[in-house]
Amino acid sequence: MIVRQFGVRQSRQLLALSRRAPVSARFLSTETAVETPVTSSPESSVPSINSPLESGSTQSKQSLTESEQRWRKWEASKNAFHKLGSTTKDSYEPVPLSASEITLEHLLAAGTHMGHSTSRWNPQNSRYIFGIREGVHIISLDVTAAYLRRAAKVVEEVAARGGIILFAGTRKGQKRSVVGAAHLAKGYHIFERWIPGSLTNGEQILGHCETKVVNAFDEELPEFKNDLQDRPVVKPDLVVVLNPLENVVLLHECGLNNVPTIGIIDTDADPTRVTYPIPANDDSLRSTDLIAGVLGRAGQAGQNRRLQDAKDGKFSYQPVSADWLRLDPFTGMPLEAEQQKKK
Amino acid sequence: MARHAPNGIVQAMQLLRLQGTPYRRVIPSLRPTARFYATETEPQTPSTEALPEQTAEPQLEVRPAPEINFAKFQQRPARIVPASRAYFSGNPRFIDHVLNLEHLQQKYASLPQVPAGEAPRMAWFKLAQFRDFVGEAVPVKKYRSLLKLLQQLNRIEPGIAPQEVRTAISVFLRPGNPYAKEHTPREVDENGCARAKGKRKTSTAVVQLVEGEGEVLVNGRSIVDVFPRVDDREKALWALRSTERIDKYNVWVRVHGGGSTGQAEAITLAIGRALMLHEPGLKPVLRKAGAITVDARRVERKKPGHVKARKMPTWVKR
Repeated sequence: MIVRQFGVRQSRQLLALSRRAPVSARFLSTETAVETPVTSSPESSVPSINSPLESGSTQSKQSLTESEQRWRKWEASKNAFHKLGSTTKDSYEPVPLSASEITLEHLLAAGTHMGHSTSRWNPQNSRYIFGIREGVHIISLDVTAAYLRRAAKVVEEVAARGGIILFAGTRKGQKRSVVGAAHLAKGYHIFERWIPGSLTNGEQILGHCETKVVNAFDEELPEFKNDLQDRPVVKPDLVVVLNPLENVVLLHECGLNNVPTIGIIDTDADPTRVTYPIPANDDSLRSTDLIAGVLGRAGQAGQNRRLQDAKDGKFSYQPVSADWLRLDPFTGMPLEAEQQKKK
Repeated sequence: MARHAPNGIVQAMQLLRLQGTPYRRVIPSLRPTARFYATETEPQTPSTEALPEQTAEPQLEVRPAPEINFAKFQQRPARIVPASRAYFSGNPRFIDHVLNLEHLQQKYASLPQVPAGEAPRMAWFKLAQFRDFVGEAVPVKKYRSLLKLLQQLNRIEPGIAPQEVRTAISVFLRPGNPYAKEHTPREVDENGCARAKGKRKTSTAVVQLVEGEGEVLVNGRSIVDVFPRVDDREKALWALRSTERIDKYNVWVRVHGGGSTGQAEAITLAIGRALMLHEPGLKPVLRKAGAITVDARRVERKKPGHVKARKMPTWVKR
């Protein structure tokens, strides 16, 4: 009986009532009810740490609006109590896993094993399929892990040789992982529609997009800026597609241009459309995020290797030469102005 | 299941792989020539700096590798790469802007915001201006989504908004500040003359109203000449008649465009507005009399497939 009444006293509904609840105010506030001789307020004594706001802190208090004052007070109290309490260890940091860290448990937790309804399957995927559960195909995870590691190796080696890696994921919600993977691997991203013809008719579609000449350390060399006009557009050296079903045109263009592709192949997709399939669930964002993260990390490792080589004064790829850049892109001959200079 | 303990052979291979050079040297003649990365040029002679060539005669003494001139190495072009990570999307600069704004929005999501109506009014680029600004054909829908982002960032409490956000936003502002000039209410000028404009259909009337004895001149002629119909005359002077001030003001009108009805009703509106400048207290009366209510209807355009604006051709069996 007593316990029940205690519960009633603590209930939120009771607190929400407009009448004065018979709950002691002491339990609801952190302020001390008794006047203490210490008069310094926490706002003035505590300098704001980790505050994103550097500007505007010098303003006088009168000029601040009410909500600003409330915000500053909250910030001050946050900073004051920041160090109190327990210390958190082993907190979850959302850093993508690398290929060597990936386990089958990770793949299972991300739901990469879920295929499609058995009626929608593509029989070419039979070698990736573990079995059927409740009318849904289950992809075998050991195969997924093996293919994922192979794809990661491909990404790493292409990155280490200075290749251009394009990450494409055009479904809703894939934007973040695509951009993140491209950022890690120093690659390029597409999260909206692939414009058909960007590879086969690149002059028209990507002709206006800027390119730059970089040295081995990826620093721009502005002196070659004028030599970049009328060059053919840049083509990717490897394309990673998170949803190959919707990007058939992209894959077709890659095939026409001899660009190798990596794709997440669900049980209803055609695995022959991509060069390096990764049999996995492409409908779950968790699954595609995991795979994009792994490939991004692999690209990062490759880029680090390449930059390390550059520090040692080595190229891991055939660099363009300054003389070749100076040639006329149409004729392959020295430009007329330079010829006249020589005369 | 995931990681077996590697057996002897696997271990040995892993050791070899770890200790060996990261890139296996391939004999140049065996190197596949069919596929090159876009950044590669034609296979030329191996670069002398990176890989010092071995001379044909066998040398037993160990030569140190030539020193790398890093200043020269840094000047050397290596690759042609896209300037933006969104290169393959076709509008890379636009997407870079969007990603930057989204990043800011996420970073400062916890800052307090003012209601949408109280945010400082900003003159963002018009679509055409924005297209010039980024140099890309940005679709309307995508630009609207960018504007939405800008408006949300603009709603951060003005006193708190970080400098980073303010500079990022100000890039998208139109030059000058169209909202800076304040609206000045019109007044009767020093000669006691009130000017006002009125429009109806395709007619436009400009009226100058002064205190006087009730003389009316339309385009320099008397109102009876211009509007032979009594109805039109009554309409034109309706603002003065309904307030019983026909004999208290002189009206001088210039009107052009349209026909007699349009001109007469344009004059009504113009006189009503001018009268309000002289006597602001008459506004409710004029409003009730319909003298200062704008009739914004215009002739609807003709459409293809229609006979007129909406009329469809008659159905014919064949």
